[in-house]
Order: sequence, then C-alpha cells, then structure tokens
Amino acid sequence: MRWVDIKEGFKEFLDEFKKEKTGIAGVILLIILVLVALTAPYTTIPNLPEKWRNSQYWEDNPKNVPPTWYNMFTSQKLVPQEVYYKDELKITQLNKNTTIIEVDYVLPENYYFGPQGIIVKNINVTLNSPYEVPTISVYFERPDGKTVPLLVNKQLSSSLTVAVGRDSTISSNIYIWLVNVTEGREITMFEVPLETILISDMVAPLFAKVEPGMNVDDIIENPQPLPGTYKLILKIDNPAPDENKVIYDDIKVTFLGRTYGTMGTDYLGRDIWAGLIWGSRVSLTIGILVSVLSTIIGLVYGVTSAYLGGNADEFMMRINEIFASIPSLPILILIGATAGHITLWFIVVLLVIFGWMGIARIARSMALQIKEQTYIEAAKALGAGNGRIIFKHILPQLLPYAFAVIALSVPGAVIAEASLSFLGIGDPTAVTWGQILNAAQAQAATTKGYWWWVIPPGLGIAVVGLTFVLIGTALDKILNPRLRRL
Amino acid sequence: MGYLKYLAFRIVNAIIVLLIVTFIISALFVKVAEESNKSKMYEELMLWERSEGAKIKQSQGLEAFEQAKAAKQASLEDKYELNVPYWQKVYNKAIRTLKLDFGTTSMPIFGTNNVSDIIKVAVPRSILLFTTATIIVIILGIFLGVRAARHAGSVFDRALSIFALVTYSLPMWWTGMMFLLIFAYKLGWFPLSSMFDPQLTGWAHIKDVIWRLALPVFTYVFVIFGGWAWTTRNIMIGTLQEDFIMAARAKGIPEHKIIYGHALRAAAPPIVTMIIFALLGSLGGAIISELVFNYPGMGRLYWVALQQNETSLLIGLTYFFTVLYLASVVLADMIYGFLDPRVKVGASARM
Repeated sequence: MRWVDIKEGFKEFLDEFKKEKTGIAGVILLIILVLVALTAPYTTIPNLPEKWRNSQYWEDNPKNVPPTWYNMFTSQKLVPQEVYYKDELKITQLNKNTTIIEVDYVLPENYYFGPQGIIVKNINVTLNSPYEVPTISVYFERPDGKTVPLLVNKQLSSSLTVAVGRDSTISSNIYIWLVNVTEGREITMFEVPLETILISDMVAPLFAKVEPGMNVDDIIENPQPLPGTYKLILKIDNPAPDENKVIYDDIKVTFLGRTYGTMGTDYLGRDIWAGLIWGSRVSLTIGILVSVLSTIIGLVYGVTSAYLGGNADEFMMRINEIFASIPSLPILILIGATAGHITLWFIVVLLVIFGWMGIARIARSMALQIKEQTYIEAAKALGAGNGRIIFKHILPQLLPYAFAVIALSVPGAVIAEASLSFLGIGDPTAVTWGQILNAAQAQAATTKGYWWWVIPPGLGIAVVGLTFVLIGTALDKILNPRLRRL
Repeated sequence: MGYLKYLAFRIVNAIIVLLIVTFIISALFVKVAEESNKSKMYEELMLWERSEGAKIKQSQGLEAFEQAKAAKQASLEDKYELNVPYWQKVYNKAIRTLKLDFGTTSMPIFGTNNVSDIIKVAVPRSILLFTTATIIVIILGIFLGVRAARHAGSVFDRALSIFALVTYSLPMWWTGMMFLLIFAYKLGWFPLSSMFDPQLTGWAHIKDVIWRLALPVFTYVFVIFGGWAWTTRNIMIGTLQEDFIMAARAKGIPEHKIIYGHALRAAAPPIVTMIIFALLGSLGGAIISELVFNYPGMGRLYWVALQQNETSLLIGLTYFFTVLYLASVVLADMIYGFLDPRVKVGASARM
C-alpha cells in the first residue's frame, strides 16, 4: 500500500463518516469525555486519589447530603455549605486575657433545619506554661434573643475541633438548654437521655422555634425553622498571654450545609462530583486499553490459527475454547480477592486474558475466506514467509473490522471494570465509578434514597458506553466488509 | 453419516475441553484452599497449645508436651490434607469433581452441607427469575425486531435502535439499583429485598414470590430485550433483501407468511444459537444483580461461597457453569447443523 492510497482511503472514509449523524454524536461525546478526564485536577480537587480514602480530609464536609441544585425542585429548601475564614470573622480583644470571636449566620425564609453542623478548627496554640492552659467557651445567640451555651471552659489545644452536631457533649448541652427553656428546670448531664443524643439530629433544634411550654421531644422530632440572623460566639480565655500564644490566622468556621456542591456528598462527606470527574479517567483508560489489547491479540491469534490450518489450527482453537468455557467473572473475583494489592494494570491484564476469545473466532472465520484468495497463493509462490503473509496480506484486510470491534467492545470492558470495583476488587489508590457504587451499596444508599450517590456513577458508565457504541455502529456501517456476513 | 460424525466430533471435543478446564479450576481453587487451610491449622494448633497443651506441660513435663504437640500437628495436617502433595490433591479433586462428587462445605448453607444439595436448592431459584425473564426477552425481542425490520427506517425502528444502543451500555446491576430507588424506595410499589418470606405457604407464598420477583424480572427484561430486538432486526433486514424473498413476493404469498414462514426460517440459525446460550446461561444467575436485589439464587450463592472460602462449593459451582457453557456450545452446533446443512458439510469435509 502506498502512502497516497492510505491518504485517499482515509479521506473517503472521513467523507462517509461525516454523513453518519450517530457517529458524529459519538465523536463529540468522546472529545468532551477526554477533555473532562484530562482537566480533572484543574476543574476539581488536585490529586484526589490520594485524598479519597483519607476521612480526615473530608471532615469539613456534611455527610450524605444532596447537591445544591436540588433546592430548585423542592419547596423545603436546604441550606448550602458556608465557610468563614479569619477575614470574615469579627475578632475583638476584650482585654489582655479574653478574646471574642463572632460569626454571623443568616437562615433565610423558606429554609428548613438550618445547617447539618458547625465546625470550628485550626486555632493554633503554643503551650509554654502547661498549668495555665487557655480555655474556650462557645455560645450561640439566636434571633429570638435566647443564647445557648454549647461549650463552657474547655481546654484549648491546637488539635481541638469544636464540632456541633458530632460532639456528644455539645449535643447534651443543647438538650439541657431545651429542657431549661421549655420546662424551666435545670437538669444535669446525667439526666440527658443518651439514645436521643446519639440518634437524633441535635443541630436542627438550635435553628428551630423553642418557646416555654413546648415539648422537647416534639422539637427534636419535628423542628419548626426559625429564620433570622444567628451569632456564634467563641470566647477564649488565656490566663497567661505572655507564655501561651493563641493564634487565629488559620481559623476556619464551617456551617455544614444540608446540600453540597454539584453532586452532593457520601457517607464520609466526600465530594461525589470530584469523584465522578476523576473516575472518568479510569473508565476511559481501562475501557480503551482492554478493548484495543484484546482485539489485537484476538485478531492475530485467529488469523494465525486460520492460516496455519490443520493440527495447529485445531490445537489453537481448543485453547481458545478452554478460555471461553472458564466462567470469567467468578474467576476474576477469585483471582482479585486472593491477589492482595491490585493495580489498575493487573485489572487490565485480567480483563484482556478473558476478553480475546470471541474476536479470535470471528477473525479466524474471516481469515479462512481470505486464505483461499489467489493473491495469497501468489505470495506463497513468491516465497513469502508465514509472518509476512499474516501481517502484510491478511491482517490489513481485517483492520477496518477491527476498529469497529474495538469501539463496540469498550462498553463491555468498562462495565467489567465497574463490576469488579463494585464487588470491592479494585485498585485502592484509584477513584473509580465502580468503587463509588460499591460504597453506596455497602451503605445501603438505595434503601435510604440517596439518589445523588447512586445515579451519577452509573450514568457515567452509560455515557462512556454509549459514546463508543455510537462510534462503533457508525464505523460498522461504513467499513462493514462483505466478509462479516459470512 | 456426515451429521452424526460431525456431532460425535463436537461432543468429544467438548468433553476434552471440560477435562482440561476441570483440572485448571481444581488447580486454582486447591491453591487458594491450601493457603487458608494452613492458617486454619496453625490457629487450631495455637488453641490446643493454650488449653490441652498447657495441661500436659504442667502434669507431664516439656518432653511429653513436645511429643503430644507433634502428634497433634500431624493429625491436624491430616485433617486439612496438608501432608498430601499439591498435584496429588489437584488430581484427586478433579477426578472427584468429574464424577460429580463435590464434597461438603464446612458451614451449612440453605440448611445442608452437601454441595450438590445446595446447588439443587439454588438452581430452581435462578430458573424462576432468570429463565422466566429470558423467555420474556426472547419473545419480546424477536417480535419487536421483526417488526422493526419490516418497517426499516420508520420512527419505531429508530426509537428501538436508540433504545437498544442505550441499554447496551448500561450495567444491569446499576439499572437494578436505579429501579430499586425509584419503584421500591420512592414509589413503594415493590419490596427492597427479593428474599422470600419463608413463613408463607400456599397461595400467599405464590403471591409473595411474584411480588418479590417483579422488579428483578422487569430490570432484566428492560436491559436485555433492546439488544435482542436490534440483533434480530439486523439479521432479518439482511435476509429480507435476499432473492428468494423477492421471488416469494412475486408469487403473491401474503406478507405475513413471507416474514414468519420464509424470512424468519432462513434467519433462524443464528437466532436459535442466541436462544440456547441465553436459556442455558440463565441457569447460572447473575452475581452482582442478585446481590443488589438480595435474591438467593446461584449468583449470590457464588458470592457467599467466595466470602466464606468454601472451596468445594466454589469448584462445584464453577464446574456447573462450565458444563452449562459447553452444553450450550454442543447444542448450538447440533441445531445449527440441523438448520443449516452447509455447516456440517464444511466440518466433515475438513475432517
């Protein structure tokens, strides 16, 4: 084949491909997917796979909350995440020993529940005099004028995180305050019912109507939101300001949203949107690699088998049948489960080992037809070797078919990888759609109705699959050699 | 003579493949079992050392203890077959498997330890779910495919093609999760788990089973039938362009008869092959989909066996799957040769 012929043939093919609407749609989708995958570190969080399993990294995120845009479809609006840094806070130095930090938070009308929690962290303390440790008190001022003491005189250290909604002491204090307001009596820490504190949402009552005469359990069960401006007050007492330094430069106050980001969060507070975008890398890479490799191996194997004929053909076809009759998914699970640490490369190799047989069979039957053509005989008569005939004369004939097969077998490979990840057999250093779904299944997300966690990864798989099916069927239509019908 | 020889050749071929695959499976699983048995043995030995061993050490001295420990270790090695050479074990296991003697599990599953009995409980359940669904898919797929081929290029044909392409790229288990989310969680029409209620009997039991099977069957049909219809359509369009169809039309044979009598008959071989593989394949269940629906069939059984390290059950199940596949191959070859005589002539000519 001369270079000019190839150029000509390619131009002809392009002209024909442009007429296939589905093919064009597929190519556009593919370009978008590749761009999304390539720009993942810039559009979302850089180096996500390293952070994905580190639950501390996701501490500042709410858990199991839907995406922010979900508010557009409901009448019960849910607040988004809000983060305050040093510049947005009001820090007043009352005197040498006392500092007051104030945070204003507005709960607008039509919003339900208020935030999922409040987290204050990154107050740096340098301790030189251990007997005069600085202390922190946290108060919460509500629009109805009532003030809730959340935390009183707790010793302050650099590692301290005030977590309203996760800390059971704070939840108990809220309960004590609720009883105090509604019934007018003071109860102690030991009278607080532990189950209520651990199971119920104790942050919602903070942002709800609480009046004397109301029932505490009713408020916890069914809080009525109280819109207005709230104020979180941190009072820090430092008895020895010269020895013990308290620095607020890095302070971070987070009002955990009841909604989060583009795609919500999972049970660890992980940003599902970032996971989705990063997952596209794995899906595309594995899908394309597996289908390209298994198609090449299958083609070469099938053509060689057909060309050699006789006993060699019989032998090679028996091996093919042996691979085909081993049930692949169970064996893949077994190998994956016993192999210990699995890398993505290992998964590619496994999927290729169990993925080349069908193509080899079809390639063989096609090559059997080509083999009988006179030009092969001519090449043989001229003294061409087996390798030359196979690679130079038979394989190029099958190439157009190979491209269609590659495109059409990508969805299978993508689904196979996702299936393995879904069963918990995958590369622990990667973020994949299958793993996101695996976590969703393990946390029973379907039975709790966490749709934002279940639907998007599967849609991702479907979109990648559809992209290649569209391209594949278009290619098939154009390149379909007559041989394929036989 | 041609057909019988062709058939005999295919069956012998399948048996050879089955023998080799059985050995490969046994080698693989015995290796895994050896690892877990070794750790089990050491665990048991440690336990013995702490209880009985300590007593012997106290009453009879260190020497007697060492002797007793060696004896205990030997007996444990015997129990876990650790003193038998690896290949010997593989050979024994393979031979026993070929004789359909799968052995027993260490923990009872479905109330029995016998692997054959466990499989006998699970297979009917997979048939109930997947074979039923497959039959629906076949009927629906062929009917819709033939319709699309008759009106190629129509809105119906295009809609079907698009639907087929989309469902082809969906993982079935994810679709199952979606449907659970919509129909079971949101609308509450179906149960969240497809595990049967064992307390019910008679009519109530049947009603319970139907109610619990509805969603998995619907999921399966939804994901699979598009591909079937599309493939049938493509085969039929190819056949409808053949000369003999034109001849039949020219003779004035009614269109209905041409489609179902002539064209479908000619297109039958590949479709029948698909039907055989689908029907026999459905006996094996589907691992992930059964997990999602919490359905106690073959697929879930395999998963349980993997989780509990039940080597005998794993080998039994894998052997079952392999036999199913090879039986499909032979059956398909048989029927293909019957429906399309050219095949067997080609094969016997080569022999």
